Amino acid sequence: MTRIRLVDSTAIGAIALALVCAAPWLAQAQTAYKAPRNADGTPDLQGIWQVRNTSAASDLEDHAGALGIPPGRSVIVDPPDGKIPYKPEALAKRRENFKNRETADTLNKCYMPGVPRITYLDFPFQIFQTPKYTLIAYEYIHIYRTIFTNGSPHIDGLDFWLGDPRGHWDGDTLVVDVTDFNDRTWFDAAGDYHSDKLHVVERYTRTGPDTLRYEATIEDPEVFTQPWKISLPLYRHTEPNFRILEYECQAYADEAAKGSH
Amino acid sequence: MSSRFCNSILAAAVAALLSFTLAPASAQPPAPAQGPGPGGPGGSPRPPGGPGGPGNGGVPSIFGGPRHVPGGPVQHLADGHPDMQGFWNAGNNGGAVFEVQNHPTGRAPFFGPGKGAVVDPADGFIPYQPWAAAKAKDTFEHHLAEEPELHCYESGVPKQLYVQFGFQIFQPANYVVLTWEFMHAYRIIPTDGRAHIPAAIKLFQGDSIGHWEGDTLVVDTTNLSDRTWYDTVGNFHSDAEHVVERFTEVDTNTINYEATVDDSKALTKPFKIAFELDKNSDPKYEQMEFACIEGNEDVTHYTKDKGGNADVKVK
Repeated sequence: MTRIRLVDSTAIGAIALALVCAAPWLAQAQTAYKAPRNADGTPDLQGIWQVRNTSAASDLEDHAGALGIPPGRSVIVDPPDGKIPYKPEALAKRRENFKNRETADTLNKCYMPGVPRITYLDFPFQIFQTPKYTLIAYEYIHIYRTIFTNGSPHIDGLDFWLGDPRGHWDGDTLVVDVTDFNDRTWFDAAGDYHSDKLHVVERYTRTGPDTLRYEATIEDPEVFTQPWKISLPLYRHTEPNFRILEYECQAYADEAAKGSH
Repeated sequence: MSSRFCNSILAAAVAALLSFTLAPASAQPPAPAQGPGPGGPGGSPRPPGGPGGPGNGGVPSIFGGPRHVPGGPVQHLADGHPDMQGFWNAGNNGGAVFEVQNHPTGRAPFFGPGKGAVVDPADGFIPYQPWAAAKAKDTFEHHLAEEPELHCYESGVPKQLYVQFGFQIFQPANYVVLTWEFMHAYRIIPTDGRAHIPAAIKLFQGDSIGHWEGDTLVVDTTNLSDRTWYDTVGNFHSDAEHVVERFTEVDTNTINYEATVDDSKALTKPFKIAFELDKNSDPKYEQMEFACIEGNEDVTHYTKDKGGNADVKVK
């Protein structure tokens, strides 16, 4: 009995001390943000969002500034070195892409930018939710993505510039599984690219009243040695008069070509 | 306290907690799996009744979707407004997508006669001011290569409503959002009572604000640019265009659509178009991605006499 009591009191003491030590962590855990709910009980992701990181679209990896290229730290959180895990032969293609980026980057032709690139182009987008869908309307070239959260399966045998997004909820996180890509988009203006075997898993998690964490895990066995992951905060536009307008790339390019306006 | 000390204390606490715990902590529930949809794995999302197909045994239409089948009583959402969510199609409407106004002799060699969708004035013609009528004629004769959709632009209002392939209505809180397969266009229509944006900002799709009058969604659209047409043959508006649309769901398969179009710079008076929107209620139907500029060759096929770049074909 005595021995058991001794063990108990030691254990209780340890726990008490541990609670003191863990107080900051516990406080953080207790105040972990709980997203407000939509009428159907799902976390409310609605609103107008945009990245503040204006360098990821130029290059996802660590990079210095150059003319037209804002400098920036890597947004790749896995692998920990912040570098895209290219196969050796694929790395050569990336370097060639960068050299030829003006003509080789289909973004420069006003084509759809693919996923996840559409998210960190420096343009706002608005998220809408209904019980069956999460709809994202992007200001950039009036793209929208209808994310099915109705349990429907991926399409088989077609490919798309923006892939085929099917979503489900993992706790308070909207997880979007995106397949059926073509091989014509890049991840950034540095020539980082993929094949049509690309598979992206996006995660949208509210982290505060006006912040949303965006994560994308990128997998492509033809180009990369392992999956890799980016993470970027998105910020809500709180300006009362803010709204999604239009960025009509093709129309502006046509105007420029005509020398009009 | 130093973190080293804390680490060892925490380790001891974990050991102590384990000694108290009779049952293991329950595992996190697995993430919900993506179950198969109504069609089951591998089911084609493009139903036989989708665009180009003979939906519901009706008349095939190049505009997509089944022709009209009467539905049941209008359903309402929790907010009291009619539930118009789903896929809708304008159908042919007297060839409005080709030419919105009356075209009793057609436009050889492109298409034959049709009534269009103009219901007021009664003759079915757009009440142009003289200069605008002359411009529309000149555009048809010499500048068809400037047709906005050839260049992959959004269609504007009201044309966006009668383009081919149909559209989807979403009703999230405080909004009605419309998305089209064609040109992957969309319109965001807030219904929260906000005002229009300043006139200086012109948009292909304009600035739309909506409100409900009973079961009718009324949408007021301003800020329209002069860069879209009403149809494919040069009927056009200025940047003074102002459109008031009325969407009235009359049964679960039918919306009566009306648009009153005013344009003080180009018209002598407003005109009104009206047609029926039909629901595509195939449960497996989905809109596909519509890539346009990504593969556009239309412009290269227009000959120089029509404002394009191609040489005139030698017969």
